[in-house]
Amino acid sequence: MFPGSEYNTEVWSHFRAPRNSGVFPADASGVVAGAAGARKHGRAVEFQLQVNAAGTVVDCRYRVFGCPATIALCSMASEALKGGPLCDAARYSVVQLADRLGLVAEKRAAAIVVEDAIRAAVRRYNNNSPPQLAVVKFTMES
Amino acid sequence: MKQETIYLDYAATTPVDPRVAEKMACCLTCEGTFANPASAHAPGRKARGAVERARSQVAALVGAEPGEIVFTSGATESDNLAIKGAAHFYSDKGRHLITSRIEHKAVLDTCKQLERDGFEVTWLKPDADGLIQPSVVEQALRPDTVLVSIMHVNNEIGTVNDIAGIGRVTRERGVLLHVDAAQSAGKVPIDLKTLCVDLMSFSGHKLYGPKGIGALYVRREPRVQLDPLMHGGGHEHGMRSGTLATHQIVGMGEAFELARQELPQEAKKLNALREKLWRGLHAAVPQALLNGHPTQRVCGILNVAFPGIEGESLLFACGAIAVSSGSACTSADQQPSFVLRALGRDDQLAGSSIRFSIGRFTTDDEVEAAVRVVGQEYHRLLDLAPAG
Repeated sequence: MFPGSEYNTEVWSHFRAPRNSGVFPADASGVVAGAAGARKHGRAVEFQLQVNAAGTVVDCRYRVFGCPATIALCSMASEALKGGPLCDAARYSVVQLADRLGLVAEKRAAAIVVEDAIRAAVRRYNNNSPPQLAVVKFTMES
Repeated sequence: MKQETIYLDYAATTPVDPRVAEKMACCLTCEGTFANPASAHAPGRKARGAVERARSQVAALVGAEPGEIVFTSGATESDNLAIKGAAHFYSDKGRHLITSRIEHKAVLDTCKQLERDGFEVTWLKPDADGLIQPSVVEQALRPDTVLVSIMHVNNEIGTVNDIAGIGRVTRERGVLLHVDAAQSAGKVPIDLKTLCVDLMSFSGHKLYGPKGIGALYVRREPRVQLDPLMHGGGHEHGMRSGTLATHQIVGMGEAFELARQELPQEAKKLNALREKLWRGLHAAVPQALLNGHPTQRVCGILNVAFPGIEGESLLFACGAIAVSSGSACTSADQQPSFVLRALGRDDQLAGSSIRFSIGRFTTDDEVEAAVRVVGQEYHRLLDLAPAG
């Protein structure tokens, strides 16, 4: 655990140096995006997936406003999704990741927001929508 | 301080000054002043002498008579004793109290308990600068008001209330005034001979003394009486029973003595460091906002809102600096500060506010390093965040 916090060293490492953060260039191909949460609720996430013709997530980017757990979960999820099939991204459980990391119950809301943003992006791809943000309204504050 | 972490949380607690620790160590073992100060034998009389010397030292810092100082376990107990003690003793005169919404929890929760006990409490709202104006107190006074409790310096934002003005209002109307001075003693000059204050709470550990010791000033002229919270041996003129903790009391006395000797130059040094910190932070983060009155503030506390980022992340990102989001006593509950909310800051700004508090051992280098870390981490987190 990081001294004085409920975060373990893995969470701490991703919070200190988030992997794959940022956004793809506007002209990048195969990019779909989803968003969830709201600043006024304490966390907001925009997640981008770059998917190739074979349906593989070749890369990810995200922007995140939130607590250390929200930032770390974005970073860890982006690592997990890269290189995998898009159908896995649709099923990927950030909540289970949070549980595995031993995050306290109050941080479950952070995992749900990250998960919702990823699933919104996957839906955007499946609906064959233009690469704009699909916004998921986040209403549950656990 | 020879530590990796830069300690900028002096408003939460201070390290014991080595000169204080030395005096305390003389009161613990066989060779020292360890006896019970209530005992009649020679070692007991020696301990009593040490306690009375400390009482004089505490009184001297604030212009009180030694006999007006009652030792307690800390400012929280002092607040409880003052408010509950006065409310119950004078309940025949009335059952209405006045306090503000930005008091320390020790005052807020004590007043809430009295509400449950059938007293009525008026909760004053501060102005946009975090101050309680005497005119606002005056308007809230009623014929059945028995006590007003207003803090001298706010523990979160460092603003200094006009207790001289508030005291004139309450004294004219024959209402008792209690002042929580945990954050002001030793930092702001206090002269109880001229102030119309009837009860004043002090803490040892906010002023380089030990934890677990505090004091309550109880005015003798005009005389103020209190119902005690604790019953037992009738110590402290019957107001606070319990064997006196000689080492703690001696430590508090020495700390107050040092503060009295060093207050003018220390206040000057801390003012300069605080200004340097604010100028540095504002240059590194031009969006930063100062919480509380820009000039009517104590030398050691600076509370700054950092718009656009999330507070917990900033606090953890700046892990090399020991600071508080809100006061240490309230940050455990992870809610936006009730003080900042009372000033009109929204949840996001209140949540992204940091209290920096500097003290006797803070150096220029530490302030410069803090500015660097906060500026760097703020911009890192801002870059991570989505627009809006």
